[in-house]
Amino acid sequence: MEFDKKSLLKLGKLARISISEDKLNNLSKDLNSILEFVDQLKEINTDQVDPTSNSLNQALEVRDDKVDNQNSTEDVLENAPEKEMDFFVVPKVIE
Amino acid sequence: MVAQMIEGWNLVIGIEIHAQVNSKSKLFSSSPTDFGSKPNSQVSLIDAAMPGMLPVINKFCIEQAVKSGIGLNAKINKKSIFDRKNYFYQDLPQGYQISQYKDPIVGEGFVEIETENGQKKIGVERLHLEQDAGKSLHDQDPNFTFVDLNRSGIALMEIVSKPDMSSPEEAVEYVRKVRSILRYLGTCDGNMEQGSLRADVNVSVNKPGNELGTRCEIKNLNSFKFIHAAIVYEAKRQIKLIEQGESVNQETRLFNTQSGETRSMRSKEDAHDYRYFPDPDLLPLTLDDDWIKGLQDSIPELPDQIKERFINEYSLSSYDANIIVSDKATSEYFEDVVKNRNPKLVTTWVTGELFSILNKKNLIIEDSPITSKQLGELVDNIENGKISNRQAKEVLEEMCESGKGALEIIDEKGLSQISDENEIESLVDNVLNSNPKNVKKYKNGKEKLFGFFVGEAMKLSKGKANPKIVNDLIKKKLSQ
Amino acid sequence: MKNNYTLKSLATLLENNKISSKELTSEYLKNIESGKELNCYNTVSKEKALIDAEKSDERRKSQNLRSKFDGIPIGIKDLFCTKGVTTTASSKILSNFVPNYESTVTQKCDDAGLISLGKLNCDEFAMGSTNKTSFFGPVNNPWKSVNSNNKLVPGGSSGGSAAAVSGDLCVASLGTDTGGSIRQPASFTGTVGLKPSYGRVSRWGIVAFASSLDQAGPITKTVEDAAIFLDIISGHDEKDSTSSVNPKENYYENLNPDIKGMKIGIPKEFRSDKLPASTQKSWDECADLLKINGAEILDISLPHTMSALPAYYIIAPAEASSNLARYDGVRYGLRVKGNDLIDMYEKTRSEGFGDEVKRRILIGTYVLSSGYYDAYYIKAQKIRSLIKSDYVEAFKKVDAILTPSTPSTAFEIANEPSDPVQNYLNDIFTVPVNLAGLPGISIPFANDENNLPIGLQLITNSFEEQKLLNVARNIEETINYSETPEKWWLK
Repeated sequence: MEFDKKSLLKLGKLARISISEDKLNNLSKDLNSILEFVDQLKEINTDQVDPTSNSLNQALEVRDDKVDNQNSTEDVLENAPEKEMDFFVVPKVIE
Repeated sequence: MVAQMIEGWNLVIGIEIHAQVNSKSKLFSSSPTDFGSKPNSQVSLIDAAMPGMLPVINKFCIEQAVKSGIGLNAKINKKSIFDRKNYFYQDLPQGYQISQYKDPIVGEGFVEIETENGQKKIGVERLHLEQDAGKSLHDQDPNFTFVDLNRSGIALMEIVSKPDMSSPEEAVEYVRKVRSILRYLGTCDGNMEQGSLRADVNVSVNKPGNELGTRCEIKNLNSFKFIHAAIVYEAKRQIKLIEQGESVNQETRLFNTQSGETRSMRSKEDAHDYRYFPDPDLLPLTLDDDWIKGLQDSIPELPDQIKERFINEYSLSSYDANIIVSDKATSEYFEDVVKNRNPKLVTTWVTGELFSILNKKNLIIEDSPITSKQLGELVDNIENGKISNRQAKEVLEEMCESGKGALEIIDEKGLSQISDENEIESLVDNVLNSNPKNVKKYKNGKEKLFGFFVGEAMKLSKGKANPKIVNDLIKKKLSQ
Repeated sequence: MKNNYTLKSLATLLENNKISSKELTSEYLKNIESGKELNCYNTVSKEKALIDAEKSDERRKSQNLRSKFDGIPIGIKDLFCTKGVTTTASSKILSNFVPNYESTVTQKCDDAGLISLGKLNCDEFAMGSTNKTSFFGPVNNPWKSVNSNNKLVPGGSSGGSAAAVSGDLCVASLGTDTGGSIRQPASFTGTVGLKPSYGRVSRWGIVAFASSLDQAGPITKTVEDAAIFLDIISGHDEKDSTSSVNPKENYYENLNPDIKGMKIGIPKEFRSDKLPASTQKSWDECADLLKINGAEILDISLPHTMSALPAYYIIAPAEASSNLARYDGVRYGLRVKGNDLIDMYEKTRSEGFGDEVKRRILIGTYVLSSGYYDAYYIKAQKIRSLIKSDYVEAFKKVDAILTPSTPSTAFEIANEPSDPVQNYLNDIFTVPVNLAGLPGISIPFANDENNLPIGLQLITNSFEEQKLLNVARNIEETINYSETPEKWWLK
């Protein structure tokens, strides 16, 4: 069992997802089942293999340094749950 | 002073410089990068991390990173990878910063700095490209933090030094030097007040012979003064802790520019696990040899090279050369003036009088009220004996006020120096004849009186006599 | 109502003025209304569709058509951002999100004059294979077993897209496929589902699930329609750094069902005792048919096939955990108030995401976290290399690979296993294709003993969509599969 309650809560913190007490048991069962499933990869020898993070075999394309300010402040803020004076607003953060 | 406080302790300092690339648009979007715009007016859908938005890299930023790497004598990596650094923060819209982790675009290099004990090589660990975050305003409202994403996505070069510095002075010199190199290259404007160049400083202390101490990182220092002050404060704080038998916590700290103190950063308290992994929206960046060669060939002369040339070509002292080349505009100004002129005289006038005027007026050399042409003309008139040094100062001041040329001012003020030997000889005769006692004393060995005669002669000429001729004539007459 | 509409046939009807775009659009809107029980659409753009249809009719009158297909109404998976039309990814966290921008793919549809009927239901953030993870409830499969009246899953994640085409709630639809999300529901609904090569179709403006695997594609009634639709949506996009610079082809124009001399591979690793006899039978029959039509059938090996699914369930959640970090309640979407910023984040994301999405975010966070990165994430990326090279080797020997699309036909919603891993197995045949970045297509071949469609999958090498469509067209032409579901929802 990789995921006990404590490690699950820690993981939830990292992912910024609160996990309620009543869901902990089922969730840890599910996650352990997934982990057990993916753990079968451990049996495959990959010592001489390079990882592939994208299957597309192509050089990174670049763009020219041109300004195109097509989005207005209103566009950017249009869907904001809370805004004021052209700012996004969040609960007070103390640095 | 610092040395006394920390006597018996070693300081180990490493610095991460964040230098904003001098690009028109952002690293992965076409939004502008102008400073001081209205909040959220330079934000694209990509910068705001709207669903489905994808990054496309700015070619200019890649070039500037490579140029900077070359300027830092560093290895250019032909293949580099963009990674995601994952963490949640209100001014990080994607929930990750696109940065480079294991495979940066630039590898190891070094810069040389001047220290009390001569030249010192400071190692550069790497330079990588990354996105800047947005800006949070915490003091607009008692209950809320306001977020402006104008800065979000602007290209930064993070330049990581090795922990090679051992005093606040060295740290400042290092940042100065890197800034100067970037400015020479034109890859970053180096404007620290606007935050185009900022430093995170890692400080630890240990007793000689002991193993390294725990380090603290002081974030976001945006002036040389603050870098110095923050290191001094932090070193003292750590030493005090250890001397009291306590231990230093590895943490991120903020420097309070008002109080000059550092304090632990609360929002960074929980240990981070950034979960770096290659950004699947971006393929590996590959650079080919010809392209790198092309950039290498475009690199201008850099401060170290110019300094060497100034020493060889103009016989400047290392000290003077260093002062002049530390700023690109200054070295260009100097070169303009020194062409076909006496380098020693030019150096004196540039680093002496000109600098003091600029200082007084709080101006940078680009905004100097005296052009290099005007200063050259002034130096010419000193060189050909038309005016004395003292007169030249007067001319310079007038030049600064009126913007007139040297000759014009000399004529207007009638400052022209008397160099006619006959005229001066009659002055000298006059002085010697009026002071027979002193002449006698002098001849009896009181040689100090020589200055008295010179002074009298100059007074008589209202300061206009060529002091060299006065000197020569007095010497000649007294030895007769 | 039973119709034989396809993109191809509608283009002809419109061209010959047998029907107007407005009439056609109204007809589909009526079907959508009467097919509400299928729960295919999250949003129906009724007014906008009718206005757009009128405009199309005007273009037709003034002979100013955007393409031959101008005026044909389609459905769009609710994962494509559409300007002014709510885009939810079937998630509570985006349930109020109205983009002010248009995805490249839907823009291309608009440029061709296609009319959007609305946004199709799918698994939340495209994570699922039954459409049960949608915040707006499951989609019902238009098909039912002859032996039961129970509702069946349409597959997922593009369940709404597949069910809508199958049930005539649109003639063709857009889906996305990260591990089988187009092909698996196509297989479950008797439709054609095409996942193009990674990079063939722009991802710009599509809500991201796993960036290195996501690919948009069409779900249609026929292979011809798939070719037509791919022509419309494919091509290089400078806004997507992972968009292929390979020039696109004219897939429909060049569609050629001649397969003489082609070599078709049958991978032994896809064989299984657990495969239903009817599926195995269809697979064998299809191979025989291709042989009769002139192809050579070869047994091949793709040795790392069984490692694909576990590798996928590391890579996809890892990327998802990062891609979904932006849903934090700050700039758009749901915000649940909290005591402070972190509390707000945690509450917003906990209430905004459904269980499966949360599971995947947590697993993804875990496999990327310090101490586990090499053991899981890097390991999976290495397995991905092995899988890719399996296919590279295979395509040295064969032109195309034939497999079943899914290990079963559609099953009852009530029978969905509670263990998430059991559900993941639905994608066992489709996932390797995504990991290798290849194009794959699922086509209906026959119905099983319960009268449920059986889909077969064809795979070719990267950017060989033409060859893929050619082989698929050959099968289609030969078998002429024409089964349609009984429209039980109309009774």
